[in-house]
Amino acid sequence: MPSIEGKDVRKLIVACDAGMGSSVMLASTLRKQLKGTPVSVEHTPVNSIPGDADVIVCHTGLAGRARASAPGVVLVPFQVFIGDPAVTRVVTAIKNGGTIDG
Amino acid sequence: MADRAGTAPLPLDPRAVRTAATAADVEDAIRQCGAVLQEVGAVDGSYIEAMLERERSISTYVGEGVAIPHGTLTSKEAVRHDAICVLRFPEGVDWHGEHVTVCVGIAARGDGHLRLLAELAQILLDPDRAAALRAATEADQVIQLLQPDGEEDSE
Repeated sequence: MPSIEGKDVRKLIVACDAGMGSSVMLASTLRKQLKGTPVSVEHTPVNSIPGDADVIVCHTGLAGRARASAPGVVLVPFQVFIGDPAVTRVVTAIKNGGTIDG
Repeated sequence: MADRAGTAPLPLDPRAVRTAATAADVEDAIRQCGAVLQEVGAVDGSYIEAMLERERSISTYVGEGVAIPHGTLTSKEAVRHDAICVLRFPEGVDWHGEHVTVCVGIAARGDGHLRLLAELAQILLDPDRAAALRAATEADQVIQLLQPDGEEDSE
């Protein structure tokens, strides 16, 4: 399973089916939480994840498609769009250091 | 922030806010959201089926009694312009086991809706404001709550 150190993350992708709903909300929240870090946050449809993504977060229901779309990239699935502990761990690892497994 | 391709930040259309709706179930609630989006000229009727299809694949429940039904990637063809509607169901809707009282229906082909959604995300992180949204009985209150704060750097 791939992993990355929080300090090495530069591009965080929030993947969604249509890229018009929940991923937009989560991306805007993450952008606020990661303000002041070198990490850029983007939201994209799950089938067009950019090649330079360091970490992908997506709903568990889309994890399979995200994995197929971006093999080898750290993938963090979540259940809850706002306040999911898995996403909180990513933010903490980026801000305070730590390994993100995916 | 970037307003690409002529998709200016979207004001919430008062005609798209309903504070006293009732729905029998999830499908009924989504059909009503789709109907409002159609009434304000944002979507074709086919978009409603796409909203139901999207809901079947993954619930659009986002927490704090709020769901955000919207279409699929392919259904963007059925969207004429970006729009958001807010339907409040004071009696609640059983949303796959969650109790939903506010539906924010989304139609988007550009980025016009991003600031409203960013503001909604902030509301969901603030229990007091989320409670205020659930309790809002007037369209003006809903519009006020979803007023972007002006510092969102959405892209």
